[in-house]
Amino acid sequence: MRRLGAFLLALIVLASLAAPWLAPYPEDAVDPLSSLLPPSPEHWFGTDQAGRDIFSRVLYGGQTSLLIAIAVLGSSALVGVALGMTAGYAGGWLRDVIMRVTDIFLAFPALLLSVALAVVLDPTVTTVIVAIAATWWPWYARLSMSVAASVSTRPYVDAARCLGVPAPLIVVRHVLPNSLTPVLVQLSLDAGGVILTAAALSYLGLGAQDPIAEWGLMVEQGQSLISTNWWVVTFPGLAIVLTAFAFNVLGEGLRNALDPRRTVIK
Amino acid sequence: MRWHQGLLVGVVALTLSACAGGQVRGADRSPQPAADTTAPTAQTTQNAQTTPAAQANDKTFVYAPNLDVVTDWDPATSYSNEIIAMANIYESLTRYNAQTQKAEPKLATEWTASADGKEWTFKLREGVTFHTGKPLTAEVAKQAIERTIKLNGGAAYIWAPVKTIAAPDPLTLTFSLKYAAPLDLVASSGYASYIYDPDGVSPDGDKDGGSGPYTIDQWAKGKETELTLKAYDGYWGGWKPEQYRKVAFRVTEQVNTAWQLLQSGEVSFVPRLNPQLFQQASGTQGVQTASTPSFQNLLLLFNTEKLDPEVRQALQHAIDYDGLVAALKGAGVKASGLVPPGLLGHTPGKEPVYDMDKAHELLQKRGFGVDGTELELSLTYAQGDDDQKLLVTLLTSALKKVNVTVKAKPMQWSAQWDQGKKGGQDIFVMYWYPDYADAYSWFYNMFRTEKETSFNLSYLKDKEIDKLIAGLPALTAVDQVKAHEAYADLQRRILDEQAAAAVPYVQTYQRALGADVKGYVDNPAYPNVVFFYDVTSP
Repeated sequence: MRRLGAFLLALIVLASLAAPWLAPYPEDAVDPLSSLLPPSPEHWFGTDQAGRDIFSRVLYGGQTSLLIAIAVLGSSALVGVALGMTAGYAGGWLRDVIMRVTDIFLAFPALLLSVALAVVLDPTVTTVIVAIAATWWPWYARLSMSVAASVSTRPYVDAARCLGVPAPLIVVRHVLPNSLTPVLVQLSLDAGGVILTAAALSYLGLGAQDPIAEWGLMVEQGQSLISTNWWVVTFPGLAIVLTAFAFNVLGEGLRNALDPRRTVIK
Repeated sequence: MRWHQGLLVGVVALTLSACAGGQVRGADRSPQPAADTTAPTAQTTQNAQTTPAAQANDKTFVYAPNLDVVTDWDPATSYSNEIIAMANIYESLTRYNAQTQKAEPKLATEWTASADGKEWTFKLREGVTFHTGKPLTAEVAKQAIERTIKLNGGAAYIWAPVKTIAAPDPLTLTFSLKYAAPLDLVASSGYASYIYDPDGVSPDGDKDGGSGPYTIDQWAKGKETELTLKAYDGYWGGWKPEQYRKVAFRVTEQVNTAWQLLQSGEVSFVPRLNPQLFQQASGTQGVQTASTPSFQNLLLLFNTEKLDPEVRQALQHAIDYDGLVAALKGAGVKASGLVPPGLLGHTPGKEPVYDMDKAHELLQKRGFGVDGTELELSLTYAQGDDDQKLLVTLLTSALKKVNVTVKAKPMQWSAQWDQGKKGGQDIFVMYWYPDYADAYSWFYNMFRTEKETSFNLSYLKDKEIDKLIAGLPALTAVDQVKAHEAYADLQRRILDEQAAAAVPYVQTYQRALGADVKGYVDNPAYPNVVFFYDVTSP
């Protein structure tokens, strides 16, 4: 299954990156006289209301979704891991302060908080990234805090401390490298979730805006046509499902491979 | 971090099942529900065969609106979605007939105007009683209109020409006007023209002061079946067995849901389907469809304070009018000027032209265009409106080719309007339809100088145009040929010289109704209204 996930993901990433060469039409090439054409050799996935080629837009949409996923996970991990490491290694009042702030963020339902932020800000791809990242970092903070707290008590960390190595250096050189595995697994598991949340925000009109190709937005634009022009909503919908599925399978596989307690003995 | 797995299930369901599509258009004023109206050319397809569920309807006419049914119960100030219910509970002196293009008797049986159009006399119908039991007299009618004028809400401005009202005898109502105006048309307005018993008005919707064929049965704000009406037994027109004596409003936001309910016979009338579902409805058994040109057109109002005339003209040329109308698949026809066909002042042969070369040439004159500075324009439009979104997509794409970036923002009507009143955008997209069947409303509301912006969202300030607009009601009342010329002149000044707006299309109302409903005629002067008394079920 892990291989399937990796293969599927590689395919999606490659197809998205190669969109300028693979897509038969530019993502925003409108042709109202060809509006809502069903799938055909000219338009593999059919066309939307403005006559845009859905296959091309699905390919370009992958770029937007992957960009959002990378930006959200990158920024969340950076903030979350930095705070978590600090809290876990320092302990005491600093840990309490950081963790209580984290708890406050965790107390809100994540999608609701994202929606609230997205409503306040203008609906753009950047808004989506900020809104999701704002709800995502606390998970990494909590995860890395607990791992860092455990690693901090290891003998090699004690040894470094006794040798007078400054605390920031200990965290960067010894604690961080030994705490990263669970964070990496979590990142791969979360990528699918981020893409789904971004799609949900765009679907609600709070994210990417036309003419940007974004899968959630494309689903939203086609929803009233589902019973008459099924292709408008189906293909971007399938792209969301497949990408989220690929990330989840890959993440699950990585977790099994990297976690010794989950290793299956044959 | 497990919550997103639920989300995955949601998206899968969303993709594979079939949710629906909201064709929500702003509730209030102009961006009034998209809807549909119908009237003359109605191409009606009947695919007979009443469904069993419809037979079980027991003569309840079920209307499926996509927005709240009632926002204001006061017939004086009501100015929104409730027109559909109000037009069946309340009556006016006259009613506009879209086929004859004239006002016809309703509570007034006949009327006369003086030669200068300033003195009007209306003879009231005998034997009319309000739902409160009070008989209709000229004195009550006078009180009602005076109350509407005094409250000055909603469309009360329609009575602006009135100087005094008198009731010389119980069935005669006379008006003296400050300036000539077509008062028979004014009195047929869908808003603010109702004659009512002021004692019957209740903001809670528990009673009404109307004289119409229906009266309030139950009103439950926020419920799916928000409102039910029942026949008023004392109605002056009497009742026939085949008429609907009960009416229900079942709020159905999603167009796909409304379509399913119609097919199953659970609703009798869906005011708006999307063009694709409408096409499907045309070939579906148990359903009939009606398609009628409306008085509602789509406008792009260009900020005349911020944008140069050349840029505004370039924008007019950058709209792919024919492509847009083709993609609307029957839901609209190309406009010719500001005034839709069927109204005095309509100017055929003034259809706008899509010409990107011309647009680029005009932009270049101001230093923009492919080799010039990039121009960034902000645009606001109604959230959830697929037709407006389509226009925005086409315009954005066309302008991108000439180095113009459009930052389009879909907004709720109230937010869009608030921002517009503060001059906060370059292009404002909205629908407009008249309060009564007269083109004056477009000019008076949208292109007349305003101290504080209300609907003049192009912020046009032109004294000559103001003067011409001020003279329109009098001309309409006394000399229709001159009035027509004045309308043509105004449109030339506003669209050609000032380039304050672009008008891509006039909406075509596309209704779907149960095959058992007989006698339905759409009247574009009353958007979305079904006069339930006029339809029957065998």
